[in-house]
Amino acid sequence: MNRTIFDLIKKRAVLFDGGLGTELMRYGLPLGTCPETWNVERPDIVQRIHASYFEAGSDVVSTNSFGGNGIKLAAHGLEGRVRELNSAAARVARRAAPAGKFVAGSMGPTGKFLQPQGEFTESEFEEAYGEQAGALAEGGVDLLIIETQYDLKEALAALRGAGRAAPSLPVFVTLTFNKFPRGYFTLMGNTVALSVEALEREGTRAVGANCTLNSEDMVGLVRAFREATKLPVIAQANAGKPALSGDGQVSYSQGLEDYVRFVPEMLKAGANVIGGCCGTDPAYIRRMAEFIKK
Amino acid sequence: MVREELFNDIRKAIVEGDKPRAQELAREAIGLGADLNEVIDKGYVPGIQTVGELWEKGEYFLPELISSAECMKAAMDILQPEMAKANIKSRSLGKVVIGTVEGDIHDIGKNLVASMLQANGFEVFDLGADVKLERFIEKAEVEKADIICLSALLTTTMLNQKRFIEMLRQKGHYGKYKVLVGGAPATRKWAEDIGAQGFAENAALAVKAAKAAMAK
Repeated sequence: MNRTIFDLIKKRAVLFDGGLGTELMRYGLPLGTCPETWNVERPDIVQRIHASYFEAGSDVVSTNSFGGNGIKLAAHGLEGRVRELNSAAARVARRAAPAGKFVAGSMGPTGKFLQPQGEFTESEFEEAYGEQAGALAEGGVDLLIIETQYDLKEALAALRGAGRAAPSLPVFVTLTFNKFPRGYFTLMGNTVALSVEALEREGTRAVGANCTLNSEDMVGLVRAFREATKLPVIAQANAGKPALSGDGQVSYSQGLEDYVRFVPEMLKAGANVIGGCCGTDPAYIRRMAEFIKK
Repeated sequence: MVREELFNDIRKAIVEGDKPRAQELAREAIGLGADLNEVIDKGYVPGIQTVGELWEKGEYFLPELISSAECMKAAMDILQPEMAKANIKSRSLGKVVIGTVEGDIHDIGKNLVASMLQANGFEVFDLGADVKLERFIEKAEVEKADIICLSALLTTTMLNQKRFIEMLRQKGHYGKYKVLVGGAPATRKWAEDIGAQGFAENAALAVKAAKAAMAK
């Protein structure tokens, strides 16, 4: 690959993919199944989803490895398969990627708390994220994205672990924020300013937010990130909140047109990399690609 | 008045998450021969309620919530044995069976709700995550629970909240227990549509919902 993702970011806004979990469920992922297992059991489906995002205009897809660190997998009794499942995730995405497009290794939160709130230490988290990062690197990703983080301490441990295990890969970090009258805060009470400062110091190559917020609320958050850093800013908003009708049909509260309405504002507010999170699908990405082309 | 000062100090210790102070004050209350139920109702419980309000306002976050809940637990660990010794029945606001429904392993929010309910005076039986629907009923029957709290984070597992209410109806238990639902996708409308008795958006509101359910 001659051109890096940073070359692309310099030229124009870069487009990630949309929701993966949502798509996997649509393709029939059974209730309670660990999504990462489909990288070895139904790689055809996972590859098809990645391909549909590239076809819709994504420059980058994230691997099906969101819950793939050992601590998270332990809930399914699969902590012994970190290397197998994550390297498979990377390979499947790589197979779907046309020349010149990128694959980002997705690393989501452990779901556990660090001491004193929980039982884990920062070095245990570092180790788990490191193991995952190594496997994703082995499978051929172009970069790593540590995402949906709600604890800055965990994000930093993940960044350290990834840096140690895969030193040649750039690492992006996105946190998830709630919107309060006082401003944007993570679950643990982290602010944008303090988070960015710490993450930059630890060597992240791009920062931003994903999940929890819809595209409208994400605009203000992008602005806050833009004010805090010169690094590329990433924003991947949810299509609102999921709602379930009585007969089991899922719909997301922010429809397609409403979602994309805020994309120009997100770009104007300073987002360099955009994508979609829960509830978004290739149709959302197709519309977002149109905005970027303009 | 000495007692008012004691209650204020206790409330402050909980709000500040000062565990040694909360424990010290518990011992002091025992030493003074104070009415321990009153100490809990006027000192500790208002403290944890204030914490809940600060959380709702977005001024307190998870670390503060957890450390205050731990203060509460540490104080109760000192007061409750003392009350048992003196044969004073600690007033329980009600019995709650709580868990994350089967197919769903998310438990952070549910753990918080369990902590807050306990801190606010409920007797809580936490079944964990990925709990088979029948287990909720079994535990509720055995413990003669008042409330069953179901957490679900995924739209797919949310359906189990609906199935649970249907199961209650089939077994002729509908109305016997107050069912409260929670988790990111839960809404008031969802709770109404499925026939649940309440819903809450976060741990602090869950306490309010549980108290309201007991009042009905």
